[in-house]
Amino acid sequence: MTLSKMNRSNMSLSSRRRARKAFRAESTYHATGVAIALFFLAPFAITLLASFRHGTEARLPPLPPWPANGISLDSYRSLDTFGAGVWQHTFNSLLVSLATVALTVAVSVLAGYGFSRYRFPLKNVLFVLIIATLMIPFQSILTPLFIILARLGLNNSLFGLTLVYVTLQLPFSVFMMRNAFDAVPKEIEEAARIDGARDLKLLFRVLMPLVLPGIATVAIFAFLNAWNEFLAALVLLSSNEKYTLPVLMMAVRAGRLGAVNWGAVQAGVAVMTLPCLVVFLLLQRYYMRGLMAGAVK
Amino acid sequence: MHETGVVLTDIRKSFGSLEVIHGIDLRIAEGSFVVFVGPSGCGKSTLLRMIAGLEEVTDGEIEIKGRNVTDLDPSDRGIAMVFQSYALYPHMSVRENLAFGLKMARTETAEIEARVKAASAILKIDHLLDRRPGQLSGGQRQRVAIGRAIVRKPDVFLFDEPLSNLDAELRVSMRIEIARLHRELGNTMIYVTHDQTEAMTLADKIVVLRDGRIEQAGTPREVYENPANIFVAGFIGSPRMNLLDAVWLGNGRVRVAGSEMSVPVTGEGLQIGEKVSFGARPEHLFVTDGGAGCIPAKVDFAEYLGGTQYLYCQLADGQPLIAEYRSGPEINAGSTIALSVNDNQRRLFGADGRRLT
Ligand SMILES: Nc1ncnc2c1ncn2[C@@H]1O[C@H](COP(=O)(O)OP(=O)(O)OP(=O)(O)O)[C@@H](O)[C@H]1O
Ligand SMILES: [Mg+2]
Repeated sequence: MTLSKMNRSNMSLSSRRRARKAFRAESTYHATGVAIALFFLAPFAITLLASFRHGTEARLPPLPPWPANGISLDSYRSLDTFGAGVWQHTFNSLLVSLATVALTVAVSVLAGYGFSRYRFPLKNVLFVLIIATLMIPFQSILTPLFIILARLGLNNSLFGLTLVYVTLQLPFSVFMMRNAFDAVPKEIEEAARIDGARDLKLLFRVLMPLVLPGIATVAIFAFLNAWNEFLAALVLLSSNEKYTLPVLMMAVRAGRLGAVNWGAVQAGVAVMTLPCLVVFLLLQRYYMRGLMAGAVK
Repeated sequence: MHETGVVLTDIRKSFGSLEVIHGIDLRIAEGSFVVFVGPSGCGKSTLLRMIAGLEEVTDGEIEIKGRNVTDLDPSDRGIAMVFQSYALYPHMSVRENLAFGLKMARTETAEIEARVKAASAILKIDHLLDRRPGQLSGGQRQRVAIGRAIVRKPDVFLFDEPLSNLDAELRVSMRIEIARLHRELGNTMIYVTHDQTEAMTLADKIVVLRDGRIEQAGTPREVYENPANIFVAGFIGSPRMNLLDAVWLGNGRVRVAGSEMSVPVTGEGLQIGEKVSFGARPEHLFVTDGGAGCIPAKVDFAEYLGGTQYLYCQLADGQPLIAEYRSGPEINAGSTIALSVNDNQRRLFGADGRRLT
């Protein structure tokens, strides 16, 4: 009786000690995580807070970076006075970026599938050639691109810009999608063929869900690159109302009559960051898996 | 009712310029269980995949139930296939995995449900229907893969080494399950395996392949007892048949490792003094106290397996030989014994490998 009691108290003592140890380990782990997260989030937070300062405050040195005299949308209002208005430019950017994502995903899924599964002459040469274009700095082909677009009547058009972005995005995307399809066991596809899934049905019902991580990766890269791209947009677009956000930001940053409206700059940065965050948060789970799949294969 | 479930006529297959299947003719009776065996790379999978329609034939014709299916799509051939790697759709539940083929064929929902229910009852996977393949054990996955084949109600089941990813114990129970399935469903089944036991126990007919050719096709008893040639003799049975260099002495007699013995062979066309091979299975050799027609052998090594014992011996002329020894006084390495084999279990093969009768 006493023995078993002692045993029990012993056990509870040791288990309590173990629990305390686990708690300490866990809190260290989480504290470190929180610190790192704060470190990375701080710039975003500072920009976002600063963008809500009063118009008069915005011209002062950015210390403290948060609004001291209450929240105001002055910065956003003054941002809207640049170019054709911030809505128009945001719309332009969104249009170009989303179209780039859609076209890139469509083409690279089909191309990746073809490269992964079909046998055709010069397949590997073609693939290496596509990958090799990654080595060409795109600034160096900007002039020919400009001329080609002009010939096609696509200069100063968002569609033309989209085509350029898709072209630049494709080598990496095709490579990514080929890896993703290569990682899908051939037997799954064969089982589906026996089950009567053919061609596009096979692609959409069976294979697409399996390469979703790859698609997410391709989509994120396409979106971010198209959203942030500056040089091609500056060169290929010539009218004010067609500019994308990075070009607008250039104008904002340059200021008027020598005076830079830092409030507007902060507001612009906030506007530009938000969609990237949204896209990344939506797709990050797949994105991580996509990079892994590419890594081991 | 068709007599023949599957007929292969002069099937050939080349990958590029390399021919790997060299003209295969085979008739498979409806409802029978046929097993393809052969060394790795002999073309078992390729042949099975051509029947499935996953691989195009380079030449020849395939008929299933009297219908020429050579150029049909896999889904239109009335076949179902079970892969070694299961090949389940990882993003679908077990239920969706089973139903997928029927959905593709636009089967009515009620019918799909009934068939999925029936198949999962046969395979005892009813309680797993809502799980994903990733949440199943290997054995359960293989059941689902078999279930996916069953719901299609195929004329022919094709299995490509379906059990080789399972551990030994599970393999035995799944083997028995597949035999039961064949008895219950009565479909034609074609089964590829490396495993001798699976081949012998499951098959109505064993097809032994080598380098893209059929070496022999027959019942398990036929290929075991009357192998058509040295290759089949050596391939079927474990441990393999002893094949010893021998010399034909004429008159139904040969000399093996210095001893003379009679063989049940007429020896037509054989020259006296011609080299032949003498075959005797380890399990047919027995220890005698000497006398006519026995071979003296020195035991190099004895392997004790409990119920039985394998004696690794060396003959007078240095040839190795394995004998199975079931009971009797203990035999240790280093001792010399006399081995004999019953007259009707002695096999003789010509220099070209063909069985002599
Ligand atoms: N897609 C292919 N391209 C080129 N050669 C191939 C292809 N598939 C198979 N082969 C060749 O065909 C031959 C037969 O292959 P197969 O897979 O049918 O052998 P197997 O008998 O199934 O072997 P295992 O027992 O190892 O599975 C092999 O020599 C192989 O190299
Ligand atoms: Mg094989």
